[in-house]
Formats: sequence, structure tokens, C-alpha cells
Amino acid sequence: MGGGVLQGIFQNPLVDPYVLGISSGASLGAVFAILGGVYLGYFTVPLFAFGGALLSAFLVFYLGKIGKRFPLEILLLAGVGVGFFFSALVSLGMFLAGEDLHQLVFWTMGGFWNSSWREVKMVLPFLVVGVPILLSFFRELNAFLLGEKVAESMGVEVEKVKKWLLFLVSLLIASAVAVSGVIGFVGLVVPHLVRLLGTRDHRYLLPFSFLLGGGVLLWADTLARSILSPIELPVGIITNLLGAPFFIYLLRARKRNR
Amino acid sequence: MKKYLEVENLSFSYAQRKILDKLTFGVDKGELVGVVGPNGAGKSTLLYLLAGLITPQEGEIVLGGKKAKNLSRRRWSKKVAMVFQEIPPDLEIPSRELVAMGRFPHLGRWQREGESDKEKIAWAMEVTSTSRFSDRMFSELSGGEKQRVMIARALAQEPELLLLDEPTSHLDILHQLEIMEILLQLRRGGVAIVAVFHDLNLVSQFCDKSLLLKEGHLLSFGKVEEVMKAEEVEKLLQVEFLETIHPFSLRPFFMPLQKINNNPSRGRVHLICGGGSGSRFMRELLEAGFSLSLGVVNQLDSDEELAKKLGIPIVQEKPFSPFSSSVVEEAYQLAKKADFIVIVPTYWGRGNLPNLDLAERLVKEGKVVLILEEALNPRFDYAEGKAQEKLKKIIEEGGRVVEDLSTYFSSS
Repeated sequence: MGGGVLQGIFQNPLVDPYVLGISSGASLGAVFAILGGVYLGYFTVPLFAFGGALLSAFLVFYLGKIGKRFPLEILLLAGVGVGFFFSALVSLGMFLAGEDLHQLVFWTMGGFWNSSWREVKMVLPFLVVGVPILLSFFRELNAFLLGEKVAESMGVEVEKVKKWLLFLVSLLIASAVAVSGVIGFVGLVVPHLVRLLGTRDHRYLLPFSFLLGGGVLLWADTLARSILSPIELPVGIITNLLGAPFFIYLLRARKRNR
Repeated sequence: MKKYLEVENLSFSYAQRKILDKLTFGVDKGELVGVVGPNGAGKSTLLYLLAGLITPQEGEIVLGGKKAKNLSRRRWSKKVAMVFQEIPPDLEIPSRELVAMGRFPHLGRWQREGESDKEKIAWAMEVTSTSRFSDRMFSELSGGEKQRVMIARALAQEPELLLLDEPTSHLDILHQLEIMEILLQLRRGGVAIVAVFHDLNLVSQFCDKSLLLKEGHLLSFGKVEEVMKAEEVEKLLQVEFLETIHPFSLRPFFMPLQKINNNPSRGRVHLICGGGSGSRFMRELLEAGFSLSLGVVNQLDSDEELAKKLGIPIVQEKPFSPFSSSVVEEAYQLAKKADFIVIVPTYWGRGNLPNLDLAERLVKEGKVVLILEEALNPRFDYAEGKAQEKLKKIIEEGGRVVEDLSTYFSSS
């Protein structure tokens, strides 16, 4: 769903939740927690990841802001820049990790192998508050389809709406990444799957992306657990393996349509 | 009387450059105002200001007695809707849903579309004749249909003021007229409309008032019949126009004239023509590098109007009158200065026969007189064969019959 919202804001079908630098920020947070040897109870790594994700998101907003506005292309570039910078720090951390390396690598691959209801409880408040509010923005997101100027002429306070949506999405994604690690391609591909099912109306696109996203992950996780059973693969490997070819297919299909 | 829309001293600059300078005008409900001006005159900027998409540095926009700058975005959009020049890229959305988006300012965040919203959407599609493809995807529609859907979307906002930025620019003439019909219908319904057009004649035929904008200045604003004069329009667009009255609408109608090269490198031609028969030769000869003179022709003759416009010296007689001897004498004096006399295919009646006497006199004096072969066709003679006789006489005296002028001049 985060992907659906961001693709709506940016009017760019190739945007996914990680363009705001959130994934690399979360990884960096996890690196800190694991290497720093900090231990604040069960949620240490998720908490640090959450902090890292928010830090990177706000850094991107800060860098992408010009006056009172958030020009989309600047925001995208800021996201890419911050992402690379944080990734470099993560690599540096890994290089120096020594014994903790495999824990780090596992985290960055993303997975649910130690998920439990405790993780669900951590994410739940964000979902309960964030999801309905995001869904309520379907009219604004539909208006963005016609372009920002048209949306504004129809009464949408474009800059304000963008700010709110980016903030909410960052919060939701940060909470999700914090407990699962980086699971690629789901946020990018799922909204396209919903569009292939035949709607571009955000009234349906958002809730369906939310549900289908969960469904796809469940399915991918099942595959991850059974394919090399009893070894459980990180689910991020599965989503990347299946998502990347699908993504390329989408790109080429779009080109052919032109 | 205050108008619905009052614009006072409106100025807008962008990056130190003044785009609009102190505009003041008013538009009433039920008025259709056409904005005309060359590229970069600030026409779109004016619409953006009226829609509240950009903020003026100076001046005031008043909508129905309320200062617009105090309106929230949502309330502004309830009063003013805009149709943009660009049609959005191919959207896989049913047309009806696209029109429904226009209800945005009337709906709360958690509110669903109610009966009255549905009625307004149906009305907007009815007015624009888009109801019959309400379920078709926007991307599948033709250019004209897309534009009408975009207008319907704006109408769903129930605007009191409708702004349109070149709504006809990508459309063929049939679809342009469809759009104008829609605007006239809305105007009768009491909507104030301000629209930018590239086509002068759409403005002169359909709009109540016109606003001529040049380099950010208001050149003039008022009733079309009063404001749209050839000199004014020429000043605005830097193109020469031939102005006539449209025979049906009785409104001014403008035809652009080509820039002409007025240096006579190849000598001077005196044309004997009338009733529009000379127009095509005027152009041909001017383009070939000749200078021209004309006469005698009657006033209000289309040859006379065109020649005047082109700055060609002419000798004219009162409308619908036979040529008097003094006028013919005047034409003789003018024609004597020419290197060639050309008689073009034109109708002869008792009134204009003296033109042929004139030619005969000149050919006897040794002037080169050229007669286009087509002019000898007896069907042109409404003077009981007298024109035929006179033409024959001219040929006997040394007048040359030519098939067409370009062949003659290129061989001589």
C-alpha cells in the first residue's frame, strides 16, 4: 500500500517505498544495534532499525525541501543520494563486523523466521491509525493522476497533502521494515498487480494493495520455508528472485504499449 | 455596478520579470470573455491567477464581492474551475469517474458521493454530451471527446467562474464549434467564462467581450464589436489582417495577409480588374517583384479593399456607379506611370467599359498592354458585345494576348 500511495504522489510507476532511503536507514540502525552491542531487551534491533528508517526519511525530506515546497524530482534524487550514503555505511559496518556478520547479512535480507505475535503487536498501532488515514486520501491521490496543477485547481492543497502522505507512509514503512528487515519488490510490484486487475482508482487500489501485499508475502514466506526444507530461506531472496523478472516484464510491457 | 469578477491592478512577476502589469477589468455572470494575445503575453498566467494557483504581487481579485485571497483553497475551487491546455496523459479511468473527481471541493474527507453529487455529475456530462461514453476509458476517447470530458470535470465543481486555456487548440473545426456551443450554453446558464483562444475569429464570432493582452499589458478590453478592429488586432499580433463582416453573425472576421515585399525590382504594372478578379494577380505580381497600381474600381469592391490594405495606389469611383470621365482621366494619369497594363478576366458591363477605352488610349501611345487569354471569353461580356469589340481593337493596336503572366514575364 505504501508503494501505491508513493506511486500516486510521484506519478511515477517505478517508485517504491524504499526510494525515500528508508531501507538503507533501517539497515544502518540494525548495524548500530548489532555491532554496538547495545541490548535494551527483545526489541533492540527493531527499535534501532525504526529509528534509522525515520532518520533517513526525515533527512530526505529536509534535503528535498525547497522553500515550502517538495518538488518531486528533487525529493527522488535526495532519496537516492541518502540511500547510497547509508548503504555505504552499512557496507562499512559489515566489513568491520567480524563474528556478527552473518546476523547482519540475514537481517538485511529480510525474513520472518523469528516473527511472533510480539512483532505484530509492535506494528499494529501504526497500522490501525495509519492505514485508515491513508485510505481516506484516495480522492486526493486520484486528483494527482490529472497532474498537480489540475488537482490544486480542484481544491486539493497539494503541498500539504504531499507532506502528510509522505510522513504517514514513512512511519508505516519504518515500522514494517523494523520487524522484518528489507524485503524488496513487494511495494513496487503489488500496486502494479492490482492495476493489472483493472483499476487505477485509488479508492480500490490502496485497500487491494494492502491485502494483496500481505497475501503475496505470506505466499513468498511459505515458499521460503518449504523450498529447501528444513532450511528456511530469507523471504527477501524469494521476493527479489520473483519480483525482479516481473518488474522487468512490466517495464518492457509499458514500452511496447507506447 | 460591480461585476461578479472584479480584477483590480493585478500584477505578477516571476524571477524579476514582470509577466502581468496592473490589469483592471470586470466580468459579469453570463458573460463570455475571450482573451487574445501573442505567445508570452501572459494569458495563461492571468488564468492561473484567477484560479488561485499563483499569488499576485499586487492587486486584488474579487469574486462575488469577496476578496479571493481570503478564500481557502477548497472554497476558491467551489467558485472557480479551470480547464487546462494540456490534456492529461492516457488515463485508464472511466470518463464518469474522471468527471466525478470534480466534486472534490464539495465532499468532506469521510463523506461519500450523495444523490446531489450524482445529479451534478450527470448534468455536467449532459451539457458536454459526454454521457454516452461515461463507461468508456478516458484513454480510448478521441481528442475532442477528451476535451469535453475535461470540461465536464470542471463543471462538476459547479463553478460560477469557468476558466479555459485554449480549449480548442488541438481540435478540428467541427470539434472547435462543439466546444463553443457548450460555452454559449453555459453562458446562458449564468456562468462567467474567461477563455484564452489562439483563433481571433472564434473570439470575434462567439465571445461577448474580448481582452487583448500584449506583453503583460491590457491593450484593450470591451465589447467584441468595439475592441476587435483591424488596426488594434494588427498592433496586438504584428500581422496584417483584412477585416470583413461575417455575413451571418455580422461580427468582424479577420483574414491574415502575407507579408509582402514592396520593392519594385521589376517595374510597375497597372491592373484593370474588379469584383475580386484582380486579387489573385495582385499576389502573383507582388511576389514576382513588381509594384502595382489599380483602377478604375468601385468602392466596396473586394479588389478595392484588398488593394487599399496592401497599400497599392488606386483610382476609385463611388459604389455601384458608372465611371465618370474625370475619374477615368485620373486613372489614365496613374496608368501612364506603369511599365505594363494588364487586363485580367473580369466581367464587363456598361459601367466599367471606360477601363477598356483607357487601355486602348494607352496602347496607341505605345504602352505594353497585356490581355489574359481567358479575358477574351465572351461569357464575361454583359455589355452586348461591346467589350468584345473593344478588346479586339486593343489587340489590333498592338495589345498582346498572353496565356499567363508568369510565362510572359519569365521569357521577356
